[in-house]
Amino acid sequence: MRINVIGLGNILFGDEGFGVEAVREFERQGEYPESVQFVDGGTQGIYLLDYIESCDAVMVFDALIPEEFESEVYIYQKQELPGFIHRKMSSHQMGLSELIGLANLRGRMPEKFVLIGIPPKCLDLGAALTPEARSLLDKSVEKGREILDGWLQGEA
Amino acid sequence: MAKKIVVDPIPRIEGHLRIEAKVNDNNVIEEAYSSGTMWRGIEVILKGRDPRDAWAFAERICGVCTTVHALASVRCVEDALGIQIPPNARIIRNLMNATQQTQDHLVHFYHLHALDWVDVVSALKADPKMTSDIAQSISSWPKSSVGYFKDLQQRLVGFVESGQLGIFSNGYWGHPAYKLPPEVNLIGVAHYLEALDFQKEIVKIHTVFGGKNPHPNYVVGGMACAIDPESDTAINIERLAMVRKIIDDTRQFIDQVYIPDLIAIAGFYKEWLYGGGLGNYLSYGDFPETTLDDFKTLLWPRGAILNKDLNTVLDVDPRDASQVTEEVSHSWYTYSKGDDKGLHPWQGETTPAYTGPKPPFEHLDTDRKYSWLKTPRWKNNPMEVGPLARVLVAYAKGDPMIKDTVGMVLSKLQVGPEALFSTLGRTAARGIECKQTAGFMRHYYEQLVDNIKKGDYRTFNSERWNPSTWPKECKGFGYSEAPRGSLGHWIQIENEKIREYQIVVPSTWNASPRDANGNVGAYESALKGTPMANPEQPLEILRTVHSFDPCLACASHVFDMNGREVTSVRIV
Repeated sequence: MRINVIGLGNILFGDEGFGVEAVREFERQGEYPESVQFVDGGTQGIYLLDYIESCDAVMVFDALIPEEFESEVYIYQKQELPGFIHRKMSSHQMGLSELIGLANLRGRMPEKFVLIGIPPKCLDLGAALTPEARSLLDKSVEKGREILDGWLQGEA
Repeated sequence: MAKKIVVDPIPRIEGHLRIEAKVNDNNVIEEAYSSGTMWRGIEVILKGRDPRDAWAFAERICGVCTTVHALASVRCVEDALGIQIPPNARIIRNLMNATQQTQDHLVHFYHLHALDWVDVVSALKADPKMTSDIAQSISSWPKSSVGYFKDLQQRLVGFVESGQLGIFSNGYWGHPAYKLPPEVNLIGVAHYLEALDFQKEIVKIHTVFGGKNPHPNYVVGGMACAIDPESDTAINIERLAMVRKIIDDTRQFIDQVYIPDLIAIAGFYKEWLYGGGLGNYLSYGDFPETTLDDFKTLLWPRGAILNKDLNTVLDVDPRDASQVTEEVSHSWYTYSKGDDKGLHPWQGETTPAYTGPKPPFEHLDTDRKYSWLKTPRWKNNPMEVGPLARVLVAYAKGDPMIKDTVGMVLSKLQVGPEALFSTLGRTAARGIECKQTAGFMRHYYEQLVDNIKKGDYRTFNSERWNPSTWPKECKGFGYSEAPRGSLGHWIQIENEKIREYQIVVPSTWNASPRDANGNVGAYESALKGTPMANPEQPLEILRTVHSFDPCLACASHVFDMNGREVTSVRIV
């Protein structure tokens, strides 16, 4: 099973870079089979389509809102994502929601898809991750690793 | 009674651009105001950093065109430090830049702009047989059978019926400004989907030479890739063969799909020649055959055109303090010596000072400051940059290949060169340029293979890598022609650190607000005089603004000083 772990966001803007930082940390923390790829997706929008379509399972890390969210790690499964999209929380005009829409239309949505994220506290230019985001980062990587292990074991 | 239309935001890529347009009783746009509603501040965070790291920050300022900022950044540092890069590094950078431009134009046409001309919902009514006949009459592209279009249409119907219009939900389907028959709409949708496969292949070239993608590696002094035909891990014969195949496939797609589609679609809109705008065009030029200072060798030539005068191409020097300037008379910044005074980027200042209305607001105070974008000018003239500017400068300079392609497109459409001064002309110029630049890819591939055959594997010059070899103070200028237009980075280095860094991005030229003399920017000018079928559905505004390929993510990134809504956070 080919697996892509993709981090989204802009590292120049504090917690907006959470996804990218989380995936870097994820990669740093362990040894993984060659079938697992870690992708610094940045804010590449539509250019990331191939990273979604070209594998069997996708795990995306990203900062996400809405405001009523508590400061914790949120995990959305594939079937939850369309409803999630329709709440229009995205600001990127061509974001993950469009990627999922395109992959669906082309019949190339991977079998497994999970989104892991946290609500950002600070989006200031030039800032590092906030202590809150930093503390949630380890937890989110841990959750991600559990899911990844499940995927890899399911294969065995 | 004049009405005011506000369109906010415009780009389909991230970033914030707001257009306010005043229309008269006949729904014709009388005045337009273009505003970047989020602050840009990359210059501030680069101060004090190691100049060799600047590219890695600069490449994050734009959501999509990472490689062009990385390129302009390493070029300006090399210019400041007097570093000459090896020929292979020049060739590889040119090839990566041409790849970026080709990919970006394909994506812009099919995935950002086509839906301003192509009505997806109308495609559901197309007759697959007639669609196939039309497709085969305009191109030899093999995917054109009745069955192919029938299958696609069925998939589309299923998608729409399941309520997942998703990506297509932001269109004004059925709008009277759509003129294509259902069959041409269906061809447009088919190629919308096929182009996605091509864009993902093209960019593998970045992975080969940049080590990874997105965010390929650049380095001050050359390129960070090793060439060794015998090695498994370096750029070897196998990888070069893959690059060559991608280039050939890309050229085929452009010749057999993009250009025929462009001509077929434009043929139904050639009465709609609005959106010309300023008539002033600027290109720094790019794709050097030797060094960046050897302007005569640039494959995209350097020059400026004023007032649509294709008989005169003026010389441009972005290092000259009297030529390229930015002022802030209508921008939310202050300058220490007066907001009306244009400053060359080497004297540039970035001091934000928001004086606009407190959000949420109905309208901007367009008589005063109304944008986070500064106002760049060339010899005090507002200028358009981008594919149309490059194509016109090359055309006016007599570039034979451009003259051929422009002539072919114009003659198929049965229009004269004056038709280029329009929204449609801008869109056509992007296709013409894409064809030209894809030809460059092949040229660079051959140059690279020739060099390797001669035994030249060098990609990096390390002579001035160590800061102890640098002068105490120096300054540099780096330029490139990005997909959206002329890009300039200006750096000042002192004691091994960045003292000042200024970037003037293409969308700042095109989306600039008014200047102190009241001259409007390129978007503002292009929108004037456009009639609208229905101001509630401003398709015509989107069409013209999209034709510039706005990338306000560069000009002012996802960042909201005022905490208004959650625009700075993206998800999904």
